[in-house]
Amino acid sequence: MSEVKGDDPKIAQQVRAITQRIIQRNIKGLEFLTASPIPVGLSPKDVVLSRGTMRLYHYRSMADEVYRVPLLIVMATTNKAFLFDLAPGQSMVEFLLKSGFDVYVIDWEAPTAAERGLDLKTYTQDFIPSCVRTVLERSGEPDVSIVGYCMGGVLSLIYAATHSDGPLKNLACLTTPVNWHGMELNRIWSDERYFDIDQFVDAVGVVPADFIQQGFEMLRPAQKTAGRIRVWEQMWNDEFVKSYRAFERWGNETLPLAGEYFRETTKELLWRNKLYTGELMVDGKSANLANIKVPVLHAIAEHDHICPETASKPLLQLVGSTDKEEIKLKGGHVSLIAGPSAVKRMWPRLANWLAERSV
Amino acid sequence: MAEQKPFDFTEFFREFVTQWERDMDSLANRLMGTEEYSRTMNEAQRVQTRLQKSFSDFMGEQLARFNVPSRDEVVHLGESLRTLDTRLARVERLLQDLSWGDRNVPPPAPVPGPPRTKQPPSRSGANPSAAPSREDRS
Repeated sequence: MSEVKGDDPKIAQQVRAITQRIIQRNIKGLEFLTASPIPVGLSPKDVVLSRGTMRLYHYRSMADEVYRVPLLIVMATTNKAFLFDLAPGQSMVEFLLKSGFDVYVIDWEAPTAAERGLDLKTYTQDFIPSCVRTVLERSGEPDVSIVGYCMGGVLSLIYAATHSDGPLKNLACLTTPVNWHGMELNRIWSDERYFDIDQFVDAVGVVPADFIQQGFEMLRPAQKTAGRIRVWEQMWNDEFVKSYRAFERWGNETLPLAGEYFRETTKELLWRNKLYTGELMVDGKSANLANIKVPVLHAIAEHDHICPETASKPLLQLVGSTDKEEIKLKGGHVSLIAGPSAVKRMWPRLANWLAERSV
Repeated sequence: MAEQKPFDFTEFFREFVTQWERDMDSLANRLMGTEEYSRTMNEAQRVQTRLQKSFSDFMGEQLARFNVPSRDEVVHLGESLRTLDTRLARVERLLQDLSWGDRNVPPPAPVPGPPRTKQPPSRSGANPSAAPSREDRS
């Protein structure tokens, strides 16, 4: 037999590591395929308001002392709010609780056929105000901070613009589109010359989750396959697999959308770009972003393919606030909220910004 | 002289996957970001929606002929029950509120919790980066 020479011990080490990983990959791969859905959203909470598709959670405090102003997080209507609370150690909610915030979250369930008529007015003039009222009652405080993510940010902006004399203290928007014409691919795919929104909504009533999910996946068609290859390669790495499964579950639990809401969003925001032009009217009230005077923070992600910078960037120019700040962070649309860079960058920045304005 | 790093197959494979993903996405976005694609996709969507609706209507008629409820009807029934349940809960709460009013009792007090006295790190003199680290959150 030939002897190992020179730097060959390093090669031998590599071969050993690769072999071990192949064995682990096979053992853990089987577990991966047969495992039940990974538990998510584990931070203790109470459902304090529930109406149709809407749920309001109040998370149990994890600090001995909290900031005076309660915090209401508004989830995007297309997905479940457990993105904010994926797993212990990978949870924005847990971080905020431990940082001393009194945290409430608005989550959404799949709208039923009877809820096909929900529209922007329902979300911004009924659901969010009801939740704000509940938060104020439960906390005994006169004001509230709101954090909106993606479409939750859009709804929060409309709420803030139409309730400029309301109890809103601070507003933070995370990857929130305001210039909808900046979402180039979505605009092309929903071109009003070819996409008959009325025929579609009238036929389906509630827009199926598959349709929404396909829309997201078409923006990055190779992402899912590449993700599967990566998880196969990293199958030996328990932390990676756990995180992948949580994200995968979140992606797979995309929600259907109420037809009228989808119709209005497509026509008013995507086609006419009225949030950007300041012409949007909801329930007879102007949703001009210049009406917003409270402190505003906007976090945008460098590699956001769902809400690119062209769509989110103009927010600060449009709001009427004097105290406003934009932070641009590494990461994508989802990893900004729950990825590794969120833990290091976004959560502390958000917590510090809110802390200064929550007393 | 710096020691030459041995070839790392794992790293090479990861970079390859990342590059492949980037190239595929870029190519797909170029192909799908055209007016022609939008027209074709929407036409296909329109036909599919029409077919689904026609098939659903046809199945509904057949099931009605056999006096069997369709899936839509069963779902609708379930939803109606859920709505009734929610409305009952709301009525129950309203009745409770009314009885509170009758007895001239103030509305429920805020839910007890920790004191709302926390000061931001900059005012309390604490380290601004004192938010819990990953290790703290075990």
